[in-house]
Amino acid sequence: MERTSVTPHPDAALLRPIENPGRGFYYIVAILLAVIFYTMYIYVRQLKYGLGVTGMAQPVTWGFYIINFVFFIGISHAGTLISAILRLSNAEWRRPITRMAEVITAIVLAIGGLHPIIDLGRPDRVLHLFYNGRLQSPLLWDVCSITAYFTASTVYLYIPMIPDIAILRDRGVRPRWLYNFLSWGWQGTKRQHEVLDRAMNILMVMVIPIAVSVHTIISYIFAMTVQPGWHSTIFGPYFVVGAIFSGIAAILVVMIIFRKVFRLERYLKQIHFNYLGILLLIMSLIWFYFTFSEYLTAFYGHEPNEMRVFWYKFTGKFAPYFWGMVICNFVIPVALLSNRKTRTIPGILVASITVIIGMWLERLAIVVPSLANPRLPYPTGIYVPTHTEWMLFLWGVSVFALGYVLFARFFPVISVWEIEEGREESAHIVGERIKSYQPDMELHEPEEKASAEAAEPPPPDDEGGARDET
Amino acid sequence: MKWGMVIDLQKCTGCGECVAACKLENNVAIVEPEESALGRSMLWMDMLTMYEGEYPLLRVRQIPRPCMHCDHPPCTKVCPVRATYKNDEGIVAQIYPQCIGCRYCMAACPYTVKSFNWYKPEWIKENRSTKNPDVSVRPVGVVEKCTFCHHRLQKAKEQAKYENRELLEDDFQPACVESCPTGAIVFGDLDNHEHHVSHLKHSPRAMMLLEDLGTEPKVIYLREVD
Amino acid sequence: MNNKTIFIIQVLSLSFIWVLFTGIAVWILNLIKVSLALKDAPDASVAISIVAIPVFFTLASVLTYVFIGLQRGRKE
Repeated sequence: MERTSVTPHPDAALLRPIENPGRGFYYIVAILLAVIFYTMYIYVRQLKYGLGVTGMAQPVTWGFYIINFVFFIGISHAGTLISAILRLSNAEWRRPITRMAEVITAIVLAIGGLHPIIDLGRPDRVLHLFYNGRLQSPLLWDVCSITAYFTASTVYLYIPMIPDIAILRDRGVRPRWLYNFLSWGWQGTKRQHEVLDRAMNILMVMVIPIAVSVHTIISYIFAMTVQPGWHSTIFGPYFVVGAIFSGIAAILVVMIIFRKVFRLERYLKQIHFNYLGILLLIMSLIWFYFTFSEYLTAFYGHEPNEMRVFWYKFTGKFAPYFWGMVICNFVIPVALLSNRKTRTIPGILVASITVIIGMWLERLAIVVPSLANPRLPYPTGIYVPTHTEWMLFLWGVSVFALGYVLFARFFPVISVWEIEEGREESAHIVGERIKSYQPDMELHEPEEKASAEAAEPPPPDDEGGARDET
Repeated sequence: MKWGMVIDLQKCTGCGECVAACKLENNVAIVEPEESALGRSMLWMDMLTMYEGEYPLLRVRQIPRPCMHCDHPPCTKVCPVRATYKNDEGIVAQIYPQCIGCRYCMAACPYTVKSFNWYKPEWIKENRSTKNPDVSVRPVGVVEKCTFCHHRLQKAKEQAKYENRELLEDDFQPACVESCPTGAIVFGDLDNHEHHVSHLKHSPRAMMLLEDLGTEPKVIYLREVD
Repeated sequence: MNNKTIFIIQVLSLSFIWVLFTGIAVWILNLIKVSLALKDAPDASVAISIVAIPVFFTLASVLTYVFIGLQRGRKE
């Protein structure tokens, strides 16, 4: 398993963007930085004049910032959660996908986590949370769970990246000190692989409940109040499903972009898109099921305050957004993805983009209508976001793009060592696995290994016979 | 002591004197008409208009609405920084220097009684010099609401201490109560069975807004009788 | 940069993570202390801290385990 600077590397295509970034990288960074500086100026204006520069008012006291908070955190479920599930379920085709997914999580979480601070009337007092925070408030639960998820997903991104960083270090890629520092003395010995595998197993088991808790708790911000349209027991799982749904769509978009830009057709094949497309289709159906249950119970119960929110969404001022959400999240993706002829890469791209838009509309349709219809007779208006809010949305998107571009500049977006490992061993591992559950097939495994597997189920495939040859 | 308010809708004429008195007493900012049209007017005491029935049997009801000072306030539970809490006398207080302006309490309040300082508060020229020195002026970006004129309670307590006697509940009246020309609003100790507030509370006409939410408001309305 | 400096920076960054997570734990414990003193929903605070604090320390332990494991696993 010694990996020294052997050129040409079998996966040179994955290392090329790092070794020769090209001029395009600098153009993109310059454009994104310009956008980010402009949008930050807009935020400084908001700091100076107060939240009056937004479209928020009474009774719609939460607007774009909270919607984007929920939306971005939702996108962040792409990564770590899905990669952990794929790793745990021994899905061999995960190898080129996991890294890209995990990067989305780490970057988007940081952006999403900042949104409540953008939303504060007094961001200068945010430190009050430290000496006078109240753990009874769901906002504090969010602070805890998002911090936990951010650190856990960053660690979960970093640890499987160590062997790749070592490859870059050994090939003498600049900046050398960076790769030297981050590779933590990796040499690819058997002992090191064991340590890495064990850590990854612990992390992937740990990350799944944390990820589920994060979006459940975000739903609790709404569900813990007694407001009509929010006070619902289904909100936790409903938000988690929506988050995974939009997350898969985000992964697909990122995969399609990188496949095109970095010419990764060898790694990201039709089959990957097909599998993830089917997963997106399933999530779309589950999402529809949750939405249906949520609104049917409200409608059947016919509680007057609930019904005002209900009709506001179905036929009132919010109908275009609500039905737009249904079309984007259900009608278009199901139509495109259930047909094999349209489940192609362009078809999946269209479906993913509509799902991202649709999930954003869903957050809009959850946050605003409940606030816009207070129980007591107040004059209500429709919430119209201002330039400031649109620009800060753009800020979030550009910071995400910049973060991703910078990551892709310094680290491989596809895990080189996992691809290599798959090339060498997965056929053998999968063959053994099939033998283990097929009737009338002998299990050709050494005694001790079989007992080791029985001791700690389920055996992830990177373990076990993976390191026999060293 | 459990301060509470009884508003007799039979006596209320909907004149709005309480709204104006509250605004002046508590230095509540006056927002521009355009801002007000957006829904940013600030009223600690608001006058709600409810329409019942259809023309020609239309009936318009006016309901003065201060903060309900719930016994189980949904707003204090969600505050992340202890900027709003229920004090020992049952008044739901708002601490302006502590508030970070997340507006979670506004979203959680089923009565929608809270106001937010979207901009730095301003007053029209005529009002600038007539601010009440007893009430702090709020900075931009914090939530504010009715306090049952808590500053008057402080004053009354000081006075009672100075005169070396117990605080009598009639020592202290919020501005809206004082200003009401028909005496429709009554204020006092809900725990004191001698006081007329306590009697009115047990009137068969007594009701509370959104009673079924279990917030147990300390503002009690007396229904109109036709 | 020579290997010695790199190693020192690695150890420092790892200790920083421990300091950070200990800081979070201290913060949460402080919030519990305040909530007990003010009788402001201490039960909720304790319940959340029981879940939150171990998560951070597990994470830091995993990182430390990997670091030590990789150092020991080097062929010399």
